[in-house]
Amino acid sequence: MASRKEGTGSSAASSSSTTGAAGKGKGKGGSGDSAVKQVQIDGLVVLKIIKHYQEEGQGTEVVQGVLLGLVVEDRLEITNCFPFPQHTEDDADFDEVQYQMEMMRSLRHVNIDHLHVGWYQSTYYGSFVTRALLDSQFSYQHAIEESVVLIYDPIKTAQGSLSLKAYRLTPKLMEVCKEKDFSPEALKKGNITFEHMFEEVPIVIKNSHLINVLMWELEKKSAVADKHELLSLASSNHLGKTLQLLMDRVDEMSQDIVKYNTYMRNTSKQQQQKHQYQQRRQQENMQRQSRGEPPLPEEDLSKLFKPHQPPARMDSLLIAGQINTYCQNIKEFTAQNLGKLFMAQALQEYNN
Amino acid sequence: MSRFFTTGSDSESESSLSGEELVTKPVGGNYGKQPLLLSEDEEDTKRVVRSAKDKRFEELTNLIRTIRNAMKIRDVTKCLEEFELLGKAYGKAKSIVDKEGVPRFYIRILADLEDYLNELWEDKEGKKKMNKNNAKALSTLRQKIRKYNRDFESHITNYKQNPEQSADEDAEKNEEDSEGSSDEDEDDDGVTAAAFLKKKSEVPSGESRKFLKKEDEDEDSEDSEDSEAWDTSSTSSDSDSEEEEGKQTVLASRFLKKAPTTEEDKKAAEKKREDKAKKKHDRKSRRPDEEEEDNEGGEWERVRGGVPLVKEKPKMFAKGTEITHAVVIKKLNEILQARGKKGTDRAAQIELLQLLVQIASENNLGEGVIVKIKFNIIASLYDYNPNLATYMKPEMWQKCLDCINELMDILFANPNIFVGENILEESENLHNADQPLRVRGCILTLVERMDEEFTKIMQNTDPHSQEYVEHLKDEAQVCAIIERVQRYLEEKGTTEEICRVYLRRILHTYYKFDYKAHQRQLTPPEGSSKSEQDQAENEGEDSAVLMERLCKYIYAKDRTDRIRTCAILCHIYHHALHSRWYQARDLMLMSHLQDNIQHADPPVQILYNRTMVQLGICAFRQGLTKDAHNALLDIQSSGRAKELLGQGLLLRSLQERNQEQEKVERRRQVPFHLHINLELLECVYLVSAMLLEIPYMAAHESDARRRMISKQFHHQLRVGERQPLLGPPESMREHVVAASKAMKMGDWKTCHSFIINEKMNGKVWDLFPEADKVRTMLVRKIQEESLRTYLFTYSSVYDSISMETLSDMFELDLPTVHSIISKMIINEELMASLDQPTQTVVMHRTEPTAQQNLALQLAEKLGSLVENNERVFDHKQGTYGGYFRDQKDGYRKNEGYMRRGGYRQQQSQTAY
Repeated sequence: MASRKEGTGSSAASSSSTTGAAGKGKGKGGSGDSAVKQVQIDGLVVLKIIKHYQEEGQGTEVVQGVLLGLVVEDRLEITNCFPFPQHTEDDADFDEVQYQMEMMRSLRHVNIDHLHVGWYQSTYYGSFVTRALLDSQFSYQHAIEESVVLIYDPIKTAQGSLSLKAYRLTPKLMEVCKEKDFSPEALKKGNITFEHMFEEVPIVIKNSHLINVLMWELEKKSAVADKHELLSLASSNHLGKTLQLLMDRVDEMSQDIVKYNTYMRNTSKQQQQKHQYQQRRQQENMQRQSRGEPPLPEEDLSKLFKPHQPPARMDSLLIAGQINTYCQNIKEFTAQNLGKLFMAQALQEYNN
Repeated sequence: MSRFFTTGSDSESESSLSGEELVTKPVGGNYGKQPLLLSEDEEDTKRVVRSAKDKRFEELTNLIRTIRNAMKIRDVTKCLEEFELLGKAYGKAKSIVDKEGVPRFYIRILADLEDYLNELWEDKEGKKKMNKNNAKALSTLRQKIRKYNRDFESHITNYKQNPEQSADEDAEKNEEDSEGSSDEDEDDDGVTAAAFLKKKSEVPSGESRKFLKKEDEDEDSEDSEDSEAWDTSSTSSDSDSEEEEGKQTVLASRFLKKAPTTEEDKKAAEKKREDKAKKKHDRKSRRPDEEEEDNEGGEWERVRGGVPLVKEKPKMFAKGTEITHAVVIKKLNEILQARGKKGTDRAAQIELLQLLVQIASENNLGEGVIVKIKFNIIASLYDYNPNLATYMKPEMWQKCLDCINELMDILFANPNIFVGENILEESENLHNADQPLRVRGCILTLVERMDEEFTKIMQNTDPHSQEYVEHLKDEAQVCAIIERVQRYLEEKGTTEEICRVYLRRILHTYYKFDYKAHQRQLTPPEGSSKSEQDQAENEGEDSAVLMERLCKYIYAKDRTDRIRTCAILCHIYHHALHSRWYQARDLMLMSHLQDNIQHADPPVQILYNRTMVQLGICAFRQGLTKDAHNALLDIQSSGRAKELLGQGLLLRSLQERNQEQEKVERRRQVPFHLHINLELLECVYLVSAMLLEIPYMAAHESDARRRMISKQFHHQLRVGERQPLLGPPESMREHVVAASKAMKMGDWKTCHSFIINEKMNGKVWDLFPEADKVRTMLVRKIQEESLRTYLFTYSSVYDSISMETLSDMFELDLPTVHSIISKMIINEELMASLDQPTQTVVMHRTEPTAQQNLALQLAEKLGSLVENNERVFDHKQGTYGGYFRDQKDGYRKNEGYMRRGGYRQQQSQTAY
């Protein structure tokens, strides 16, 4: 750990701000009756995650790992973690579950908490709201109710502020997922919107007192110049990338809507046909009655008009959620940058 | 022998008949005749050409032989079968029989058979012994033959009255044939005959004897010496007994032929013996001589005659028959009849025909006949290969060329010969010198076929071998022949024929670069107008003028669409090859071939593809990159240029097509010397694409709706990007990709060095006839396009830029820079204005930045998203209102639709 002094410094410095932000968000996210109200992360875990990404992740590739810890009342304490190995195509017979069990057993031997409390994943420009994440988080939460997923954004972190967020699926979404019914009706019944899919759990980074003491010591020694990333004025690259990604999602959304639209039209057309058919049948029956003939037998309408398969709405929800995340990102980023720009302007004027 | 004993109970008339049988039978018995005939048979198979008559008659004799055999073993069933076959065979031979008369041997067998059957029929005991099948067959056969013989009644009676004549013939023949039938044999026969006669003579009355005697006398009285000899020989035994006399009769009659006393007979006998000896000799010598060349063999066989292999030849020469037209023609027809038949030795047939020509010319039969035979020789040369795919052997090919040349010589030397395929066989005039000679045959077809054969040879030769070069040398000969035919047909042929031969000529001209004319163009005319005129006269040799003349004729006169299409395509190709871009393009556009070429047959389509490619390359040489790109796009984008140009089969589709298709495709391939260099083609295409695409990409960097101009070029770029390590470029493609990258940065010098260097020169540019001109053009193009790219890419960096700097940077003169920039400004590609006094370009910052662009795009997308969303909403209202508020909702819906329609219109407007 000593070898990564700088990282420790920056993460420790930002830990307070993250905590603050999380604290604010807590009011909304923690409003549900979920089992976990707060996530307390050990500094070791944060460092391990960062290290993992730096060693193995690059570009759009993501890294994943397992979180270990314990639940104390309504607080989830994450005390350790280990990465999933990067597996290549050639060792297809690699058993992930086996590996995890083995790992946990080993950790248990050295007296580390071995409760599986969730997993972590890195992200690329905040694009993490995907079907894969939803599915695996669902299975985690299904097995261990308190599980969380930690999303680590390396790009934001590189810009100077540690970005680590803990998410859980809302109980509503859990129910829907359990039933595996993503039809529009089911979602409507579940009253799920994209805002109510994930709940963010506030994070607190906690270090032992000894480490805190060390930090203070180190902070005194470290120069101010080490933190200059935070003041970078460059924005176009980040913004451009995010915009590009946003646009892609919007395109997908558009397509999804078109699909849904087609479905709607087809359904209504069918409905009309059904209606007409019924009316005709009724009229015919009336005529027959007046002629004294027995009415025509009722036929199964659902056989005659097979209802169209409604498109799954989960994808559109996810996309919407993703778009939301992007928007939030952009908002946050631009707000910060504006502030920086004003600051720079002021400085310039002052200098002149 | 039992037969002879049974005949003992026969009636008188029959006995006399059986006497005849006696005469014929034993001689034709199974001792000598059978194996001999078989050996003859063997030789028959070697026979090349047989007249129909020989063939039919042989068939008949074979059948007769089997019948006789069957008779001998009393197998009536077999007899019946064979008799039926015989009837059929006779029916086949009917036409010949009509001509030649009913063959004697046929009559004889009919008569014999009938007698034999009657004999059997009478023989009650024998019949009882017979098995059922045989008995049945006997009755049917008896009825049949009775019926059948009714038709030949006159012949049979004739024969019966004079059986010896035919019998003698037969015997004679048999004697000749049978070396084995020595005197002993003869004696044996005689003995048996005597024995039989003895038996018989016990029963019959003197009448029969008398008859017998009389008969002999009748026969023998033909030559008095014979009868005398008989008299003398029989005098001693005459008084002895009747039996002896009878015996003598026969013996004498036979003996006479064996040992004649008269000179005539002696001569005849000698001759016969000689023949026999010769034959013996022949047969012996035949075996070792088999390998001898046919020619030689033909030579000596001709003298001897009778050996089946060249049976025809002796007929035409043998015994000094006068060689007349009719004979030769007849012979020719005979040879030709074997044509196309199975088992015909085609090589030998050609030999025969050549021999015939020789003889015809030796005997001065006139050109008509020679021309006729020559036609047939060439035809059989073409026939030599039974398979369409295989090609002529070099020697055959040479022979063919020579033959055609000779034919042409004759035709030119004798303008009074008319040749045409419409001349009927009957109306041919081969020898009547008073009238113009008329010969059936089409010289044009022959030449066309020859041309095809040439193509086939070229297709089947390895293009990288010396052999190919050797074959290619024949091309001049082929051309010369075509030219001669052209000259000939121009005098005599119909327009249609002229069109066809012109097309052949064109097909041999269009793909050749006329270096002479090119040279002439390069050396400037020496000032005075007179030399120009001279040059114009010289131009007569130019292929351009030639093409012009030939094609124009075809355009004017041709009535078949195909020839005209081919001519147009060749013409365009020729224009393009000689850098006459505008003529070529205009011709292409005027012909409207692009619209309907897909209905043409594959070879024409291949020609079309070749033409388009040549057109593209021509445009490129002129510096018209856009036209070049457009022309080459279709061929290159498919990635099957090789297949489309008929320059090779793709391996990929190998499993898709079956053997048959592959053969067909193989036949369509263009010979190697007509190939268009595929690498050159691709390079031209890629470089044109680069010159178009790179500035376009720079201009529309951030445009979401930007389209690719050339997919293939992009593909190459992507391939280049995927490379983990970039070494110095090796292949042509890598060069172009590297150049493109340099150009993207506006670095024209690097781009230039990538496009034009030693490697690329060797691979591509030196292949052009005017390589240096192309290179200068290319450099200039690169400079211009790099300038454009530079301005597109970096205009946002500049507030203003001096044109002089630009002109220095890109080594272009100021006016050019000025014109390029002005053009860009006019086309609204560059938001700038020119400041005249300072010669600078002042940029206007109207171009949105990258972010702004993105934001705009996003806004657009969001717009459409909202639109779609609203539609969903509309729908919801519609479905809910459907039941309850039709009126109102319908109205709303309409409004919605209208609104959307308007929006859509707007959209579509912006899209265009």
